[in-house]
Amino acid sequence: MYEPVEVVSNEAVAADVYRLRLRAPQTAPLVRGGQFVHLRLNRHAAHTPLLRRPLSVCQVYGDELLIMYAVVGTGTEVLAGKAVGDTSMDIIGPLGSCWPIEEDVRTPLIVGGGLGIAPLGMLAHAFRDRGINVKIIQAAQTAERLIVREAHERVKRDIVFATDDGTCGYHGIVTDLVREALAERAEGAERTGDTAEAATMFDVAYVCGPEPMQKAVSEVLLQAGVRTYVSFERRMACGVGACLGCTVPTIDGLKRACADGPVFAAEEVCFDDAIASRVH
Amino acid sequence: MTPSPAVSTSVHLGSLTLKNPVMTASGTFGSGKQYADFIDLSALGALVTKGVSLEPWSGNSGVRVYETPSGMLNSIGLQNPGVEAFIADDLAWLREHAPDATVIVNVSGHTRDEYVQVIERLAQEDGIAAYEVNISCPNVDRGGLAFGTDPDSAAAITRACKEAAARGDGASTAARAKRPVIVKLSPNVTDIAEIARACEDAGADALALINTILGTAINIQKRTMVFERTVAGLSGPAIKPVALRMVWQVARAVSIPLVGMGGIATPDDAIEFLLAGATAVAVGTGNFIDPTLTVRCIERIEEYAAEQGFSAVEDMIGALERRDIP
Ligand SMILES: Cc1cc2nc3c(=O)[nH]c(=O)nc-3n(C[C@H](O)[C@H](O)[C@H](O)COP(=O)(O)OP(=O)(O)OC[C@H]3O[C@@H](n4cnc5c(N)ncnc54)[C@H](O)[C@@H]3O)c2cc1C
Ligand SMILES: Cc1cc2nc3c(=O)[nH]c(=O)nc-3n(C[C@H](O)[C@H](O)[C@H](O)COP(=O)(O)O)c2cc1C
Ligand code: FES
Repeated sequence: MYEPVEVVSNEAVAADVYRLRLRAPQTAPLVRGGQFVHLRLNRHAAHTPLLRRPLSVCQVYGDELLIMYAVVGTGTEVLAGKAVGDTSMDIIGPLGSCWPIEEDVRTPLIVGGGLGIAPLGMLAHAFRDRGINVKIIQAAQTAERLIVREAHERVKRDIVFATDDGTCGYHGIVTDLVREALAERAEGAERTGDTAEAATMFDVAYVCGPEPMQKAVSEVLLQAGVRTYVSFERRMACGVGACLGCTVPTIDGLKRACADGPVFAAEEVCFDDAIASRVH
Repeated sequence: MTPSPAVSTSVHLGSLTLKNPVMTASGTFGSGKQYADFIDLSALGALVTKGVSLEPWSGNSGVRVYETPSGMLNSIGLQNPGVEAFIADDLAWLREHAPDATVIVNVSGHTRDEYVQVIERLAQEDGIAAYEVNISCPNVDRGGLAFGTDPDSAAAITRACKEAAARGDGASTAARAKRPVIVKLSPNVTDIAEIARACEDAGADALALINTILGTAINIQKRTMVFERTVAGLSGPAIKPVALRMVWQVARAVSIPLVGMGGIATPDDAIEFLLAGATAVAVGTGNFIDPTLTVRCIERIEEYAAEQGFSAVEDMIGALERRDIP
């Protein structure tokens, strides 16, 4: 799907982090959690930046897409300068795989690091809509960068936070919280007769964040026997599976982050090779 | 835009008639199916596949694409599943879902024999209109570019591929044996006209140019080369002036048809290549930015031909006004 988009709002929510709403009536109803759109920053002119930029859809509101993005370079800087009402951009999408939700899921866990929480937004809503209680662990460098935190708190989710600097929640790394949550559930599950969801081991986990964090968290979860999914970001050219520019090493050989991913089963990904092949 | 019915849009690459002069550039369009949601594949003059080799190639590790001013560097390394898987998956898909598309298969190899074997295998299959022989990939260690930078090697590969195409596997039908061989040239040479002439003399039916230009990039924070193989191939609008000059130059050096490419980002760019002497054009990196660019080029070329009073797009080829040197 190709669609010109209009900027509905585009405001800073933290230093260098923006909340962007785009009107995209044709694309919006098609998006599933974990998918992304490939955004052209100016369809009228200029070859700078030339390529589209992949951005995950955090939420869909009617005919609008919500995107959370960090300003990290030329493209996102240009994006941050787009005013309300701007119609110079277009998207292709939704692209890529989505977070799989199996029919029998009862006790899911979501782990988001930094902006990695954004691609998990629709998934969290999907569970809420199905009346499934999801546990969320969110981590960031500092309190200010715990984006969409208020939204989570409003709906009183089972959520815990970690920050690198201790400005909110647990002062330390996210894997500690994951281990703690696993231990709690394991204990609860041991108590006989207790069938409450909060006392049952996680049946699936969804992890998104910096790759070393995805690796560390996945290792802990896989060891505990929890089915785990991760999302991989790669520099992309085409975004549709044609150029083979975005490959991720997996146990079944190279897969395309844009078309086979970005969501992959954690046990499938060769994390060390994947991390070594990043640019940044 | 209603195309003027008066303009004939077809062009010829050897014995092959294309319905219009707009093709896709190898490696930028997958096997076509990746773009089937965006355009009607059968509307293209021709669809050129990603390079196919005898055995599966896994391509290069490390960074594979990197944006540069008005362009991009790639170091894909001709990752492809090999000719058997290509036939079983990609070609089968095209035959089923785009039976009216004109398909040109881009062929790669580490050795002359590998090119020959790929063509012999493809000669057993229907649904292919021509072969494009890539002797210009900068992203593989053996073969590729090495064949395209020396006139004798370029001629030898051309001759071998031409013979393989005509011979097929011995069981080929006459139609399959007539498939043209298009040789794809590298810009990474001192005199591209010399290589072009060598390929023409060796029997090439047409030439495609240009492949990517050798380039590189450095990560100043890590003080490392961005690409594991150090060099990579530059494409996109940044290379258009170079590509256009080379097409113009080669058009004067040979009499076989040319497929011009390199940085086409607008329909007007495509028209420039035709005027420079290309019989057809190919859109590469431009597909990444606008997946419908090929179709826009097709429409605009026809419209332009009518505006300029050409009754056939073929009359536009090399149709530059003479400019007297003062
Ligand atoms: C499927 C997918 C979903 C994404 N979702 C989001 C999102 O929801 N929010 C968000 O802020 N970002 C997201 N990204 C990352 C985003 O695409 C890049 O940050 C952006 O393209 C950088 O563009 P730039 O021109 O500003 O930076 P550049 O000038 O191109 O580069 C600046 C820095 O960004 C890094 N970078 C460049 N391209 C990518 C990339 N594709 N992935 C990761 N890092 C990159 C570079 O290595 C460099 O360090 C996503 C990427 C992918 C592949
Ligand atoms: C990602 C990528 C992959 C490519 N793969 C191939 C290939 O497999 N075989 C080939 O002959 N050319 C390949 N090329 C070169 C293009 O076909 C084309 O010659 C070149 O990119 C210049 O055109 P452009 O500027 O329009 O992209 C590739 C180019 C890109 C950008
Ligand atoms: S970005 Fe082209 S294949 Fe993924």
